[in-house]
Amino acid sequence: MLPQLIANGLVMGCSYALVALGFALIYNTTRTFHFAHGGVYVLSAYLLYTFRNLWGIPLVPAAILTLLLIAFLGVAIDEVLYRPLVKRGSSQPIQMLSSLGLYIVIINLIAMFYGNETKMLSPGVQPTYTVGHIILARTQIVTAVTFVVLFVSLLFLLRKSRMGKTIRALRDDPELVSASGINARFFRWSVFALGSVLAGVAAILAGLDVGIDPNIGMTALLSGAVAVIIGGVGVFEGAALGGIALGLLQSLAIWQTSARWQDMVTFVVLIVFLLFRPQGLFGIRRRAEEMAG
Amino acid sequence: MNYLLHILVIICIYLVLGLSLNLIVGYTGLLSLSHAAFYGIGAYIGTLLMMNLGLGFLPSLALAVIGAMLLSLTISIPSLRLKGDYFMLATLGFQIIVFAVLYNWVGLTRGPFGIPGIPRPSLFGFQLRTVGHYLGFSVAVAAICLGLLFLITHSPFGRVLKAIREDEMAAAALGKDTPRLKVVAFSIAAGFAAVSGVLFATYMRYIDPTSFTLMESIFILSVIVIGGTGNVSGPIAGTILLIVLPEALRFLRIPDAIAANMRQVIYGLAIILIMRYRPQGLLGEYRFE
Amino acid sequence: MTVLELNNLSKSFGGVRAVDRVSMGFRKGRITGLIGPNGAGKTTVFNLISGFLKPDEGKISYQDQTITGILPWKVARMGIGRLFQDIHLFPHMRVVDNILAAFQKQTGENPLLALFVRPKVTAEEKNHRGQTQELLRFVGLSDKANELAENLSHGQQKLLSIARLLAAEADVLLMDEPTAGVSPQMVDKILDLIKRLAENGRTVVFIEHNMNVVIEIADWVYFMDNGQVASFGSPDDVLGDPEVRKAYIGV
Ligand SMILES: Nc1ncnc2c1ncn2[C@@H]1O[C@H](COP(=O)(O)OP(=O)(O)OP(=O)(O)O)[C@@H](O)[C@H]1O
Ligand SMILES: [Mg+2]
Repeated sequence: MLPQLIANGLVMGCSYALVALGFALIYNTTRTFHFAHGGVYVLSAYLLYTFRNLWGIPLVPAAILTLLLIAFLGVAIDEVLYRPLVKRGSSQPIQMLSSLGLYIVIINLIAMFYGNETKMLSPGVQPTYTVGHIILARTQIVTAVTFVVLFVSLLFLLRKSRMGKTIRALRDDPELVSASGINARFFRWSVFALGSVLAGVAAILAGLDVGIDPNIGMTALLSGAVAVIIGGVGVFEGAALGGIALGLLQSLAIWQTSARWQDMVTFVVLIVFLLFRPQGLFGIRRRAEEMAG
Repeated sequence: MNYLLHILVIICIYLVLGLSLNLIVGYTGLLSLSHAAFYGIGAYIGTLLMMNLGLGFLPSLALAVIGAMLLSLTISIPSLRLKGDYFMLATLGFQIIVFAVLYNWVGLTRGPFGIPGIPRPSLFGFQLRTVGHYLGFSVAVAAICLGLLFLITHSPFGRVLKAIREDEMAAAALGKDTPRLKVVAFSIAAGFAAVSGVLFATYMRYIDPTSFTLMESIFILSVIVIGGTGNVSGPIAGTILLIVLPEALRFLRIPDAIAANMRQVIYGLAIILIMRYRPQGLLGEYRFE
Repeated sequence: MTVLELNNLSKSFGGVRAVDRVSMGFRKGRITGLIGPNGAGKTTVFNLISGFLKPDEGKISYQDQTITGILPWKVARMGIGRLFQDIHLFPHMRVVDNILAAFQKQTGENPLLALFVRPKVTAEEKNHRGQTQELLRFVGLSDKANELAENLSHGQQKLLSIARLLAAEADVLLMDEPTAGVSPQMVDKILDLIKRLAENGRTVVFIEHNMNVVIEIADWVYFMDNGQVASFGSPDDVLGDPEVRKAYIGV
């Protein structure tokens, strides 16, 4: 029982970690609290549903098509929604409310076209594999493998590429972007595209595993953002570990109580961290400096 | 005729919700997505006290307000050290949890089945029976709440809240206990939301958790963002517009199945456009700067 | 009597030691100037005293109490007021409300009392409004009373921030460049004010780049360079110090 729950928790954590990485990538470099990330997540799942289940395109090409569109959508959101606000120097609450507005538009459009009920992306019973006492569905294994591959590539990108260096520099000082001579616009495009693709991958995998409805985005966003807090704002590796920790905790809590209280775990973890370790597991405490900034 | 009276009662309820949220958003400068949670907490505490313990209307109302104010501390105190964006996230988490509790604690709240047969209040021996009676009562309650909120926002307390909204660092340098003031403002707003909740429960005579969802919180926030915040007229304009307009849309004969979603799409677009072109809203003062 | 004392304070940002083992004492009724080149750490010293930054090391005592690491609003309540280099007004509030918000121990700041003890709150408010009119007259902003603070010129904003500081009636006044960007007539008025405050027993510490001002009003001067106290003494001694002249004034 326990090993199975740990395995389930880890897989769930991988999915949160992907959302969290996308969220952190965008937040750390542009200081945009990207509420619409939740909308991007839901839309990815429904795009895949449309391509695969409604139009009959096979899974892999359907997923690639979805991710391409979602990358484009991420860029479009930045161009149409955020850039005019940033250019005018609009405050953070204005950007957040705009983002919230977009989230509302996206999920309600989806509900209008597809209805509110749960849709299954992969009908029928999934093949499962048994390792020792643990039974894993194929999607779960794919989720874990995908996460590891993407996480390692992302770390590599952050450490080695020029873009990665810029991302890390911006995390320390977001004002840099205009001063550093890098093409700020192209940079933002890359960040939004990449961040959205990470959410899209998570949405596709979770959708294949448990099905989709218009409200999955808010839970995903909440878990992703809480994972960022657990790991420490500004620490990319922290966001991933935070996601996995959250998945594990939820899984273990379900064992003790009931699945209905899963959201409660997220919230309790959030409160505990805010109270006792606001800088997260790996973050540096910098409140005082920010106050005097 | 009854339909018109019904709309007016609903407007009264939302005026109190909007103007109390305004205390947090427009005066203190914090974005909150948990107002429907306090609205629901008020409705449920009030209802359960009246129905399970047989308490009268006024004591139930008072305890619902106190309960909501105390519960607000569980979220406001830990979130205080957060900057704006993470504060909003924390309130969102709180909203989701309160809904989960109302929905899943079936033993207490009857969960999705809801609570029917909530008694209409009788005050000083006068039993409110018709919608007309209830409208008179709601207008009186809303007037008292609005009066209190007006006095609060126009007092030195309201002024310091504005100062915190404008520049928390400067307010602290003047010796203002900014963390405490924010907690107090938040709990006052929660208390007024609870009044709306009790009003709603005793008017509808039935409650279930679906009236107190995250979407409801977003709706209340939309009301004041679109109408405007930081003064009294903004939230009033927003409430009247967002309650009356969808009713007018009914006459367009849009199928019910998508009407609700369509309304939300319009609210979402309205928020985006307002933020872009008129951040102070229709009649508000605060520009979220 | 030394009211405020800094003992071996240090504060680093990343690799930069912005304040490096700084010890200073400020005496009651005296005016102390804090001078030094840009980036010397002067403002950081103020941020450490007023609690906006926590020192890495060292101790701050105020009236024989240790106040190191106390929250800013508590420090302010103990009587240490602060003028910011970058002003920090409440931009979307009216000029009068900027000042009214500054008064200490307002009964009406408690919402319950504001609702239910109205006569007392109203009387206090009337008194504060009277004082506000006087302060505005003093800084020459009477005709701007109902403007929003953001609509004032830079110099006027500085004056408003001084009026706001006065309303708070602090015992120790930390003034970060009080005369920067203010017209020459107004500078004289501010200097007179500072002298008067000191005569009334207030402790004044001010950061200043204009040496004439320092010579005119300071009783005592600290010269900071690279985060350290490089020289201290009377204005004539410090400004006459060849080291200081070389490092700072460039002669
Ligand atoms: N919040 C902060 N974060 C990082 N570095 C800081 C911060 N505040 C100050 N510094 C750095 O500390 C050093 C001292 O700065 P400070 O503002 O105290 O100088 P100053 O003497 O007031 O200069 P000026 O005369 O220009 O106002 C500078 O190198 C500055 O860049
Ligand atoms: Mg300075």
